[in-house]
Formats: sequence, C-alpha cells, structure tokens
Amino acid sequence: MRLPQPVNNTVPGPAMPFSPTTTLNMATLGKKLFILSVRMGRGLWHRGIVSSSNPVQSAVEPLEKLQESSSDAITEQMAKSLKYPDFFKVAELFTVEDLFNARVHLGHREGSLNDHMSQFIFGSRLSHLIFDLDQTATLLREALNFTAHIAFRGGIILFVGRIPQHQVMIENTAKECGEYAHTRYWQGGVLTNSTIQFGSVIRLPDLIIFLHTMNNVIYEHTAIRDAAKMLIPTVGIVDTNCNPNLITYPVPGNDDSAASISLFCNLFKAAILRGKEKRKELLGVH
Amino acid sequence: MASVCIGNLVRNSAKVFRNSYITQVRTPYGLQIRCWNSTTPEPSSKPLTSVPASDTIKHEGSGNQLIKVSKAMKAYQEKAQALDALMFEKTTEYEIGRRHLANMMGEDPETFTDEDIDTAIEYLFPSGLFEPRARPLMKHPTEVFARKKVAEFDETGRPFHVLFYTGLPNYYQVLHDLSEKVRELDSFSDRMMQYNIHKDPERTLNVGGTEWVKKEQLEDILLEKLKDKQYEFFVRSMNRLLDHPFSYRVEEFIMKFRKHVQISVIHKEIPKLMFTAEGTPYMAAVGRRKTSTASVTVYGRGSGKISINGEDLLYFKYIQDREQVLFPLQFSGLLGKVDVVADVDGGGFSGQSGAIRYAISMAVRSFVDEQMMEKMRLAGLLTRDPRRHERKKPGWKGARAKYTWKKR
Repeated sequence: MRLPQPVNNTVPGPAMPFSPTTTLNMATLGKKLFILSVRMGRGLWHRGIVSSSNPVQSAVEPLEKLQESSSDAITEQMAKSLKYPDFFKVAELFTVEDLFNARVHLGHREGSLNDHMSQFIFGSRLSHLIFDLDQTATLLREALNFTAHIAFRGGIILFVGRIPQHQVMIENTAKECGEYAHTRYWQGGVLTNSTIQFGSVIRLPDLIIFLHTMNNVIYEHTAIRDAAKMLIPTVGIVDTNCNPNLITYPVPGNDDSAASISLFCNLFKAAILRGKEKRKELLGVH
Repeated sequence: MASVCIGNLVRNSAKVFRNSYITQVRTPYGLQIRCWNSTTPEPSSKPLTSVPASDTIKHEGSGNQLIKVSKAMKAYQEKAQALDALMFEKTTEYEIGRRHLANMMGEDPETFTDEDIDTAIEYLFPSGLFEPRARPLMKHPTEVFARKKVAEFDETGRPFHVLFYTGLPNYYQVLHDLSEKVRELDSFSDRMMQYNIHKDPERTLNVGGTEWVKKEQLEDILLEKLKDKQYEFFVRSMNRLLDHPFSYRVEEFIMKFRKHVQISVIHKEIPKLMFTAEGTPYMAAVGRRKTSTASVTVYGRGSGKISINGEDLLYFKYIQDREQVLFPLQFSGLLGKVDVVADVDGGGFSGQSGAIRYAISMAVRSFVDEQMMEKMRLAGLLTRDPRRHERKKPGWKGARAKYTWKKR
C-alpha cells in the first residue's frame, strides 16, 4: 500500500510523523489535499494538530522528573509533553499486521457504504469492502496518542459502545484502566443536561471513545452529537456504514468482530495506562 | 481541563500553524471549572487561567498541592460530610439510649435486642393511638433515615464507580456481574462436557420457598430508582442465570436477590399420619365445594385404588370430574402409591368432584414433604374454593346479567 508524506512542513496537510520516509505519490497527495479541503469545512482539520507539531526536533531535552510539585512546574511539564509527536510511543503498541490478524480490515457490503467512508476504503472483494489499513494505522496512532495525552493530564475518559455482545468486554476494559464506561441505554441529558440528570453539578468526560458509533439499530449514537455540542473530543471506530463527520479522531475499521473490538480495547487501555504511568512519574500525581 | 484545552486548540490552531510549533495552551493543573458546568459561557480568547476567583476555593489536596475546586463541588462535599456526621451522631445517641433503656428495664445492656427495645418502649410509653406508626418509636438511625448514596466522586470530580455516567451504576453493575457469571457457568459447563457431565441432579440449586425481590425491595438494595421495564429485564436475566444447569455454583449471588416467601400458617397445623391396626398409614380429611361435602381417607402403601361412595372412579360420568379427583395425586406423585376411599354427598357432579379433590389434597399433606406442600399451595390445591351460587336479583336476568338496555 502507498505511504504518502507531506511535501514540506508548512502545508496544513495530513502530517504523518509516524510514517517512514518514502517517495511521495503526487497523485495521492493531491487527492488527499482535495479531500482535506472538503473535510476542513466539517471541522476535521484540527485532527492534524497534534501530529503536526511540526518539525520533529532532533534534540529535544527529555523531561526531568518533577522535583517539587508546584503548580507552575506541572504546567511547564505538560506544555513540554506537547513538543513530541509521539511522547508516549504509542506507535509501538501495534503493527499493521496486528490489525490484519484481528480482522480490522473487513468492512460491510458495498451497498451499505456511507459516502464519507469511501476515502478510507482500499477496495472491495466479492462486494465486501476492505479498509485501507495504512490509513487506519495512521489514524489509530493519532487517536492513541491523543488518548494517552488526555490520560496524562488526568482527564476523564468514557468508553461507549452499544452492541450487547461486547458490552462486558468494554466495561472490563474501562475498569482495568481506571476509566469509565457507558454501554447501556443512553439517557438524553447525560451530557447536555447533566445537572438535572445526575442531581448535582458533575464533571463531564474529557474524552469519549466509541467502540461502536452506531446504536443498537440503524441510528448513530446520540453521544456523538452531544459530545460535539459540549465540545468534548471523541475517538471513534467507524465501520463502512458509519458517519465519521462529527468524530474528532475517527479510526476506520471493523467494529463487528470480537477480535477487532478486543484489539481496540486493549490498545486504548495500553495507551491510557502509559499516559497515567507518565503522569505518576513526571507530575507526581496519583 | 482537557476538554477546554481541546476547545482552545480548535479555535487557535490557525494561530498555532502560523506562529510557532508550541501550542498557546496553558494547562494549569487542577483547573476544572469550565469543563464541568455546561451552562457557563465559553471563555473568549483570554488564556485559560482567567476564571473568576470567586468561583474557586483553594484547599489542600493530597500531596500538599493546592487544588482549585468549584463552589458547587465544595457544597456537594459539605453535604456528604454533613450526612455522615449526622448519621454518626444519631447512631451514638441510639446506642447510649439503648443502654439506658436496658438499665431501666433491669436487663443486660449487652444482650438487649431490637425486640426488647420495642417491648420496653411500649411499656414505658403506653400509647392509645390507633395508628401503629404514630406511636413512640426507637429504631436504629439507618432504619429511620432513608439510606442515601455516599459521595459519588472525589475532590477532583472523578467519579468512584466505573458506570457512574450511566445514571444507575449499582443496577448496571449487577447486570454486568450477571453476564460475567453466565459466561463463567457456560465455560464451566463446556469443561464438564468433556467429561460427559451434563447436570448433577444432586447438586441443584434449591430456591423453594423463595421468590425474586420485588421492585421496591430491589430499589432499596441498590439505592436507585428503577423503571418497571428495568426491573422486568433484571428478573428475566436472573431467571436465565437460575435456569442454568450449574447455577448452584453462583448460589450466593442469586440468593442476594431472592426473598423467602411467608409460608402460610396451614403447614404448622398439618396433622400427623395415623396408623391402622395392620400398620398402614392413613389420613382422613373433609372437603367442601359448593353444596357438596366429601369425607375422604387416604391410605398409604396402596396401589392406586379409588372408591367413591362404594363405586369406582367411573362414578363420575365426565372426564373433567375424574381428572379433578386424580389431580392432587398426580401432582404430588402419589398416583399409584395410595388408596383413596371417599364418601360424598350433596350438590352435583362438579361440586362433588371439587370437594373430593380438596379433601384428598388436605389429606395428602401428611404424606408429603414441605417443598411439595408449598408447590401444592402454589398450584391452588390447598385453597378452599369459596364460590357459592349467587342469587338472582329482581329486575335482573340473573345474578349479574341485566336485561337488554334500550336507549329509548
């Protein structure tokens, strides 16, 4: 599969800090820029920010362990962590082969393809769609990186998924990394009317990870729209029949196999745990 | 905290691109106000630290860091602490009062039970009030004050329970545990299949005399308000667990949600079996239905002979009546094992067969164990059918039926 790379660092393109250096396919880049310009209007362009904290500095001083826990020093540490394109080395967590073995590349049939997902499709085989795992890998790395940063900063992460077969797995994943899960019927006011819903002022999640973006039936999960309303960033596994528009960090891939969901759960869990580990180590908190 | 950073990232990213590679975001640790309250307006292009000082209270957190906490959060914490303090105070008062009461009554304070307290209060404060709930009462504070949930999140706002955001963490935790147990039992039964063990009849979970907790009781256990559908789903799911052949392995979990049914008074008065001269056990009983009276003797160690007024079971012309006579024996499994001798008088065939059935059921109680007796009670065999013929009323066609109503 082709591995595109930005021409120069100032182009607000799909900066790929994780890809190895290969020659660029102009046609692909052109196509990608066009797609991006279309997507800009949708608000997906900010996706590239974390990864395009641009020129990867060859010699960035490593963060020192916090000597005294004062508020300013912590702030400084946090700001420094953003200098690195892959501070938590989430790229080590998986390979494209792992994705393939977990059957992440398998999509639904051609008829159910959502138009917005066609950019992520490699092709189809006997009318079954196949995801482009290179794109998936890149986007997944960005998503994991973002998740790890949120965990690093003590953010609340909510796992959401509505398919009964995977409910228990998702809830267990959340428990194991010390975060939260909501795999049940979504009451309307959870995010948008939380004070009334929960009876008191509560802290809303800082990140919502969707293992399934669709509801039990054919509708999109309400939380996608609500999170966008509440300016809560979202990470979502989007299948061929899903709409990735409102999701901050979409990860195109199979969301129906237990193997692929299990892989994604483990990856997010690992990223969160890495973020928390660094938090303990560098910021001296929890 | 993080969500506002992202909000700013979204807004200022253009600036980021143009100016430098370091993001303009400052993320002071512990700043949480804007993220929590959905109704506060979005901050303008000012940096994040511009939160009105009046909204925040600095207090020492763990690790000697100053944590800024919103007023709302502080109020919540204070409420939770006040509740704890109140419960502690009331409990100590109650304990002291209990000891005083014991001394007053001349009893040992150590072994003064709740029932003793009730009798003591009734003696010391006699009340002529009709309503029992209006009379003087001394109960443990946990019974008097409704149990509420303790603080659900810590000072940083992070909830304690994994499923907090579902709104019903305890309820859904039970369902989660249930799913896990079903999986456990399935994998266990898979392993047993290798040894060709399908179900151990010896080790079956006995839930005789118990039933699932009612909705109100479940709400009390979980401290959460439930909808009817949620309760029904809970019961269906628990039944699925109960029906599993290896459910005895999760007896403790199941029994948490089963309540003992109040066994009716009848079983205390079951007469003991009597014995004839030859030594055969027997029991006699009288049964009534409509205007029929049947007096029946059931002899143990029999072969299933039935005699009604000297005749065979064919005394009854209709199959339904014969079935009525046989049903208690078939249900309790004594069909070919006992002999029945019945004398019946009064009424018609339906009333007579019903009377014999009731009489046989009452007699069979002595032959059968408690669990079977409970099953018989649930089957309606031990209920005297109180229905009698209802008289016709004047101006009505029958007992209830009216003549055709004409509008005009």
